[in-house]
Amino acid sequence: MATILSGAPPRVEPIEPFEPDALDEADILGVRLGSPFRIELLRDLKVDTQFGSIWIGLWGLLSILLFVAGGFVLFLAALDQVGGNVLEAVKYFANLQELPPDGLGVAHSLREGGFWELNLLFWAGSVLAWAARCWDRLRRHKWRPYLLYSFLAAIALTSAIWVWHPLLMGSWADAPALGLNADLDWAQNFSVLWGNFYYNPWHQLAIFFLFGSTMLWGMHGATILATGSEGSHHEDSEIIDMHSGSHKSMLFWRWTMGFNANPKTIHDWLWWFGTGTVLASVIGILTTGTITNDWYVWGVDHGTVAQYGPMTRSAINQHPMEMPAIVSQTGEYIPAPAR
Amino acid sequence: MLEFEAAYRKPGNTLLGQLFGVDPFDFWVGRFYVGLFGVIAAIAIVLGVGILFIAVGQYGDWDLVRAVVPAPSREYGLGYAPFLQGGAWQLVVIFATVSFVAWALREVEICKKLEMGYHIPAMYSLAISAWVVLQIIRPVLMGCWCEGFDLSYSGHLTWVSNVGFRYMNFYLNPFHAYAIVGFFLTAMVLAMHGSAILGTYHTDKDPNVEMLREDNFWRDYIGYSIGEYGIHRLGFYLAFYTLIMSDLCILTSGTLVTDWVKFWHPL
Repeated sequence: MATILSGAPPRVEPIEPFEPDALDEADILGVRLGSPFRIELLRDLKVDTQFGSIWIGLWGLLSILLFVAGGFVLFLAALDQVGGNVLEAVKYFANLQELPPDGLGVAHSLREGGFWELNLLFWAGSVLAWAARCWDRLRRHKWRPYLLYSFLAAIALTSAIWVWHPLLMGSWADAPALGLNADLDWAQNFSVLWGNFYYNPWHQLAIFFLFGSTMLWGMHGATILATGSEGSHHEDSEIIDMHSGSHKSMLFWRWTMGFNANPKTIHDWLWWFGTGTVLASVIGILTTGTITNDWYVWGVDHGTVAQYGPMTRSAINQHPMEMPAIVSQTGEYIPAPAR
Repeated sequence: MLEFEAAYRKPGNTLLGQLFGVDPFDFWVGRFYVGLFGVIAAIAIVLGVGILFIAVGQYGDWDLVRAVVPAPSREYGLGYAPFLQGGAWQLVVIFATVSFVAWALREVEICKKLEMGYHIPAMYSLAISAWVVLQIIRPVLMGCWCEGFDLSYSGHLTWVSNVGFRYMNFYLNPFHAYAIVGFFLTAMVLAMHGSAILGTYHTDKDPNVEMLREDNFWRDYIGYSIGEYGIHRLGFYLAFYTLIMSDLCILTSGTLVTDWVKFWHPL
């Protein structure tokens, strides 16, 4: 079994730092930090061993500084919640949080949302600077900008959750607080508040892509590992000229399920599933509270909800956050008065 | 047939062939390889899907988004249930499990035929484990087939929603959290790997230059390039980890822990 699962060994190449080009020279902070080194232990995991050097650059330094600044605000807010006791802050780190302010304006004080706003500003800047760094490095190494598009899609999701949806709803309080449990609680509450997110069709599509991503990694990873001893992992050269490893990879799926990709198109599938997860999520977040305030009711209206037993239409329509339904002593249903 | 396919379509190297010297199922139908386990899987799929649709027809709602073939109700415990009170569900679960396992063994035979590693059936078996844990192992541990999820598009959403609330707050289930981290990581790493290949292929006549471009980009960008072989290791391990955590997350709920909020505050 060990020999079967071992596959191809990782490459061992001399560390050759490459020469800076014109784009590198143009950056006022254009340095590659540290000299490359190896962690030989990783060879046993069949992954490459070389670390470094890492490009700093203007955007990289800006991104790191803004990230640290945001983390510092989070640290201050955590300390503030436990009266300045660092030990207590460590002990209760999961429960400590920065709450967003009510309304859309600037918070009245740090404690009433100021920490949250500052932190979010710093981290938003950090993520955008990282996107600029991504674009800069893609240009330097002459990649097509797929990675940037994926990263922008991920930014679209986080900004939909923290910025665009709260803007549409008219209050920062609709955004998640920053904190470990706060984040989990937001996810739970957001689903309940909008009438059960499982019936949000975009949420369903996002989960399809998300589970599909895991499935595709299982399929693609396993396929390449199983044929790696015949070189199927040299994907760029296999796209130009296929060999037995790729032949076997393709034939396995063709014989198993009647369909196969090839060394190029499998990566189309991978890219779209990874990116589709966040794109579907963006739509799921932005339609919530705008086209419907209750996804369960939406599901009943569009015939996608299986109902177990009889249930009156007006009872379903009663939004739990609005006035409670009045049921008379005889069981007669009286609709809540209009507000 | 693909242009190189004929050279790989060789008879032999199958289970029946090795046991008895002859394998009557060692042939292809169109693109599909058949084999002993292909026949078993096909029979189980036809029976399972047939029973599913007979049950849907009996319940009378042909809207397939809403249609439900429900698990047996609590009164039947771990025993047989009448066809429309959960018997159909039991039969479909049996045939589905048989077809999944036969499909995995069929993958093993195709791997043997192509002389490649067994990583794909190994990973697929782990995916089957999620189904077996949800529909068989956990219901047996809980003492009731009613613990399985209803076979339905809409119905299984309702089941997932209800299980989350039944154990108070599933987000506080640590294995659930670890699994979600795994799911998100697979999506991220998948997009990164897809971007790397789509971003660099056919950018140079020499594929080694393209490969160096990938390595140099990742070293510049995040300080480490895991390598063209290593990335597939990482993806494989991530999918493996995610499935194990998903299994643990549902296996522990209701059996060891009935309230994930109290789990963190035992007093």
